[in-house]
Amino acid sequence: MLLLQLLFNGLQVGALYALTAAGFSLIFGTTRVFHLAHGSTFATAAYVFYGLYTLAHAHWLLAALLAAAAAVLFGVLLDRLVYAPIQRHEGSFFTLFIASFGVAIIVQNLIGMAFGRSFVTVTTPLSRSVEIGPGVFAAPLAGIAIVGALGFFGALHLFLTRTHLGIALRALSENPELVRAYGLSPRRLSAVAFALGSLLAVPAAIITVATSGLNPGIGSHVMLISLAATIVGGVGSVRGAACAGLLLGLAESLALWKLEPQWSEAVTFVVLFLFIVLRPSGFFGRAAVH
Amino acid sequence: MTSIFVKRFRSIALFVAVLGGAAAAGAQEIRIGALFAMSGTQSAFGELMFSGAALAVDHANADRMLSGKLTMAVEDTQGTPQLGVIGMNKLVSVEKVPYVLTSYTGVSKAVAPLGLRSKTVVVNGGAVGPDLAELGAYFWNVIPLANFEVKAFVPYLVKQRGFKRVTLVYLDDPLGNGIRKELEASLPAVGGQLVEALSVPVAAQQFGGVAARVRESKPDVVYIASYGAQQVSAIKQLRDNGVTQPLVSYGSFSNPEILALPEAKGALFTTQLVDWQASDAVTRRFVDDYKAKYGKPPGVYTTNYYNMVRLFVLLARDLQKQGKPITGENLLAQRLASKSFDLAGSKVSFEANGTVMAPIQINEIDAGGAAKPVAVIPVN
Repeated sequence: MLLLQLLFNGLQVGALYALTAAGFSLIFGTTRVFHLAHGSTFATAAYVFYGLYTLAHAHWLLAALLAAAAAVLFGVLLDRLVYAPIQRHEGSFFTLFIASFGVAIIVQNLIGMAFGRSFVTVTTPLSRSVEIGPGVFAAPLAGIAIVGALGFFGALHLFLTRTHLGIALRALSENPELVRAYGLSPRRLSAVAFALGSLLAVPAAIITVATSGLNPGIGSHVMLISLAATIVGGVGSVRGAACAGLLLGLAESLALWKLEPQWSEAVTFVVLFLFIVLRPSGFFGRAAVH
Repeated sequence: MTSIFVKRFRSIALFVAVLGGAAAAGAQEIRIGALFAMSGTQSAFGELMFSGAALAVDHANADRMLSGKLTMAVEDTQGTPQLGVIGMNKLVSVEKVPYVLTSYTGVSKAVAPLGLRSKTVVVNGGAVGPDLAELGAYFWNVIPLANFEVKAFVPYLVKQRGFKRVTLVYLDDPLGNGIRKELEASLPAVGGQLVEALSVPVAAQQFGGVAARVRESKPDVVYIASYGAQQVSAIKQLRDNGVTQPLVSYGSFSNPEILALPEAKGALFTTQLVDWQASDAVTRRFVDDYKAKYGKPPGVYTTNYYNMVRLFVLLARDLQKQGKPITGENLLAQRLASKSFDLAGSKVSFEANGTVMAPIQINEIDAGGAAKPVAVIPVN
């Protein structure tokens, strides 16, 4: 029964990892910006939801919509006001990385000033597990996480394969010059990538507030998982990042079957190490990255 | 010529006067240091500790207990050893304080050698890692350490409550490992059993899987040996994931965030016995002034940090009466020469290893989020 329980827990955690990792991978794959502040997007959405739902007693749907709007706005403004000026001056990949790192630190401190440094959580009966079988417990939020992730990935797949904008985004990741030759604006597409990538972090952020709770430093953990999933999934592959996020969540949880909880997070990096050594291109990545 | 001479004389006289005034002002200031977690995930504790210490400084100055104004230099550690060492170096080398308040096992162990080397007294009132009793003559604890709390708690859990099967969820650090070692030693002696011990890393945030392992071990009670935001998160997630057994812990459960958590209702935890109802003048003034200043009653940590500053003031006052300078070396000698100290909530004496012995109080978190004493275990 323990194995079944851990498998179920792994699916829930993996679904959340998959969503955040896919958002990071979409942004990195299309714009080549190492968006370290993706964890800050996650934290922004989570704290806006917490502030509206718990502190301001807003309806959960309104709080969720405004959290999504805040995350999208944060991502797009960051692209416009921080990354775009650096790119205009031909700033290096490393310059963008440092800028993003700086933003992540600033956001963490701003959140700490606004909401305090302590642990916060949203109280909801949806996070309370009930016994669904002998020794197997599940909370409604776990089901919502898994079904929600599937829904988001389905919609994302349709968007990237069936719409002009989605196809243009994929083209941008392949060849920005060619995109420009076709009269499309890489800058505008970059904003779309940031908006979409940020939006993907929102459901995971909201569910995390209710299941595990938050502190202002949560973004760094999210970022670590997103980065590992992007490498394991194959740099530039949104589908790969999503699968890798799921794999890492499952590995982290299933490790508890035989190992101490102490080692569960280390399993993430064992998986990462194995992929780097045995399959550097990841699940669905290209053989080489330029 | 005369006028130039007079001007120069006046300038020099003014300069000397300013220097003399500064020196006099310096002589009137008696400075101590504090290493608190004023930001970061442990800041709730830092604020509690600071509030107690600051009130003691106010009281000492209002009563003119020392010939000079007592001030406190605070360095933020965020509860981390790295920042603790930076802060301690500053306090010892720049501020040149003879006495430093500290907290957290990791921070305390990191700064203790610096205190020993510079003969600066370092006093802990918040950390309970068992090995804090072995950090040398210049490291004092005004809080009973975790092994002492666990040793007092275990017979109560097994015999009074009938909780024989204990599962431990512990942080993989000196505190957590110390508590595990004590549970392994104490439980079999009273007919109990440590059925599972699950170590978690400092940064762990997901406890769903840990909850599954806890349920699998079928305990009567779950002991959580962590602290700060992680402990709050662990309590919520264990309860959310089907762990219905009573939760127990040490003094860190007196964290206001835990007391306010609905999932923590019914939890039992140990603290040192502090008699806030005591009628002596020191306790009454502390309790009344704390309520007036902060709008809430004091807790164990606020009391300890109030007492740590008061302890310094009592020692420094005795040194001043004897005409001795207030140095770490003299403070240590004066403490060894004193039998006991009248502090808020209790009369305290130190063991040979610099740690206080105090009765242990067992508290239960009630439905209103208050910690109600349910038993007192006297010192053996």
